[in-house]
Amino acid sequence: MDTATVQKIVKEIEKFTPTHESAHVGRVVSVGDGVVAIDGLSKAVMSEIIVFEEGKGQKLAQTLKEHQELFGLILNLEEDGVRATILGDTARVVEGMTVKSTGRILSVPSGEELLGRVVNALGEPLDGKGPFKKTTLMPVERQASGVIDRKSVTVPLATGVKSIDAMIPIGRGQRELIIGDRGTGKTTVAIDTIINQRNEPAAKRPVCIYVAIGQKESKTARIVEQLRRERALEYTIVVDAPASAPAALQYLAPFSGVAIGEYFMDQGKDVLIVYDDLSKQAVAYRELSLLLRRPPGREAYPGDIFYLHSRLLERACRLGDEKGGGSITALPIIETQDGDVSGYIPTNVISITDGQIFLITELFNKGVRPAIDVGISVSRVGSSAQTKAMKSVAGGLKLQLAQFRDLEAFMQFAQDLDKATADQIASGQRMVELLKQKNGAPIPLEMQAAVLYAAGYKLFSEVSIADVRRTEQLLTEFFDGQYSKTLAEIKKSGMLSDDTKRELNKAIEEFRSAHKELFVESE
Amino acid sequence: METDYAQALWDVIQKGAAPKDAVESLKESLEAHGRLALTSRIARAFERIATRDRQRNGVTLLIARERDERTAKHAAHAILEDMGVKPSDVTVAIDDSLIGGWRLEGRERLVDGSYKKYLSEMYNRATRA
Repeated sequence: MDTATVQKIVKEIEKFTPTHESAHVGRVVSVGDGVVAIDGLSKAVMSEIIVFEEGKGQKLAQTLKEHQELFGLILNLEEDGVRATILGDTARVVEGMTVKSTGRILSVPSGEELLGRVVNALGEPLDGKGPFKKTTLMPVERQASGVIDRKSVTVPLATGVKSIDAMIPIGRGQRELIIGDRGTGKTTVAIDTIINQRNEPAAKRPVCIYVAIGQKESKTARIVEQLRRERALEYTIVVDAPASAPAALQYLAPFSGVAIGEYFMDQGKDVLIVYDDLSKQAVAYRELSLLLRRPPGREAYPGDIFYLHSRLLERACRLGDEKGGGSITALPIIETQDGDVSGYIPTNVISITDGQIFLITELFNKGVRPAIDVGISVSRVGSSAQTKAMKSVAGGLKLQLAQFRDLEAFMQFAQDLDKATADQIASGQRMVELLKQKNGAPIPLEMQAAVLYAAGYKLFSEVSIADVRRTEQLLTEFFDGQYSKTLAEIKKSGMLSDDTKRELNKAIEEFRSAHKELFVESE
Repeated sequence: METDYAQALWDVIQKGAAPKDAVESLKESLEAHGRLALTSRIARAFERIATRDRQRNGVTLLIARERDERTAKHAAHAILEDMGVKPSDVTVAIDDSLIGGWRLEGRERLVDGSYKKYLSEMYNRATRA
């Protein structure tokens, strides 16, 4: 023990006045699988934090050495006791142990200090960068904002993914589900969206929260590294409840994430939160509920599984100006089995959210990235948040692609098709190529608008399908280098004025003359 | 099933039935249903209920040394009165890990006036600040 500590202890002894506080307690009756049955605690409330008293009967030196409080969370109030889940190492709890009520509802720390950090479901740092100094405690369970406090979604949230921003636009305060089978690029879309926020001006940039639920530690580590590399970690908070964490923490993680986000929303800031993924949270909640002996329902999920997700996702909203005008945009992820979107959890979450982005294996295997099926993807409120610039260039895109998917089946009889149909198929193929995008390379909204404007200008119809992506690459470089002012104007105004259109037409013509080798089909 | 029988027996006795009569009635009922084999298990379940009840309603005063009993009882007098417990109904036990002082436990209340608690809190305040 160092001298400073000794001096502090001496001071403590000098000002010591013996007082004793009365605590409301219970006793552990049984413990197993992370759940404890407690006799007593008749005045405890739901979601209350309890503390396990570990040092009883132990010598003082031993108690001081092992002092790291073990908490639990009350999840069931029963006739002759309560059931709680252990928020830590189950092995530390023994039968007969005294459990103290704290009178506190579970809260997590939040604040600017958390930006760039990785925390667990209890808000404790996991990245070895030391404890937080100044934070505000936010309740993990909080009633979602009411109708009066809310405002409709009108401000766009750019994902940087062309096909989403053009056809399934997302607004700030919206809840847009990302759904698809394993390995179809769901996380990639979400991470690209977080990375793309670096293109926003600092004052308008949303605080991003990535909640990893039941994921492999290696995957989360890779994502954190990617965010750091792309300079996105500085405005992102990662809440990690890995597959190895107790079910209770996996169940709590999304609520902790949104509680952290609410701190920023209450300050009038915008927040983007990704829940990766809610199917794993549902599985963790099912495990917990079965251990708590709650009656199982469909697929053994408890009866309140819908409420679990609805109360979480309802907390994403856009507040009115009287409440500061902050917002939480939620991107929940759901994993389907063999493309079955009619499963219990997928249908629940589809019905709660304001739209969904479907990613399908078939497109993924064909090399279409992101593998979004635009035919069944929808954004119910996002169109009112789409910029005029994007609206004007992406108007008929969705219909055009849907028609192309219908005609795709006839492609094998291409020689028998009339010219109009063949042209429509060729145009669809070019559009599919144009909407392809590399992982981790989000495109700013103004560039997307310019590229789609060029597509509307029939620039790509003269390019062979194999060259579409290369042409797009060269075109974006050309716009960036020669017409950055025009792009800045689109970004600033959010629309394509007649002057801007003239500038873009000029740029396209210049590009066409500069890269004649690409336009072989017209010759 | 044995827990239900034991709980029923416990409730009947709590309501004022003579224990001997209650056990006789239970035996007759078990015999009539061909469940006499459950008797020993019911007895163990009954014991568990009794232990739980004792723990729930009993009050224990823990002291570090035998000679502290009088002082501890005097210090805890007001609390015991508040809990509606007569000092004579309190079970006194010795736990030398308390170092000094006393600790009262029972009826969902814990009042810790032990030196161990004071020292532990002091140490935590000094080392965490």
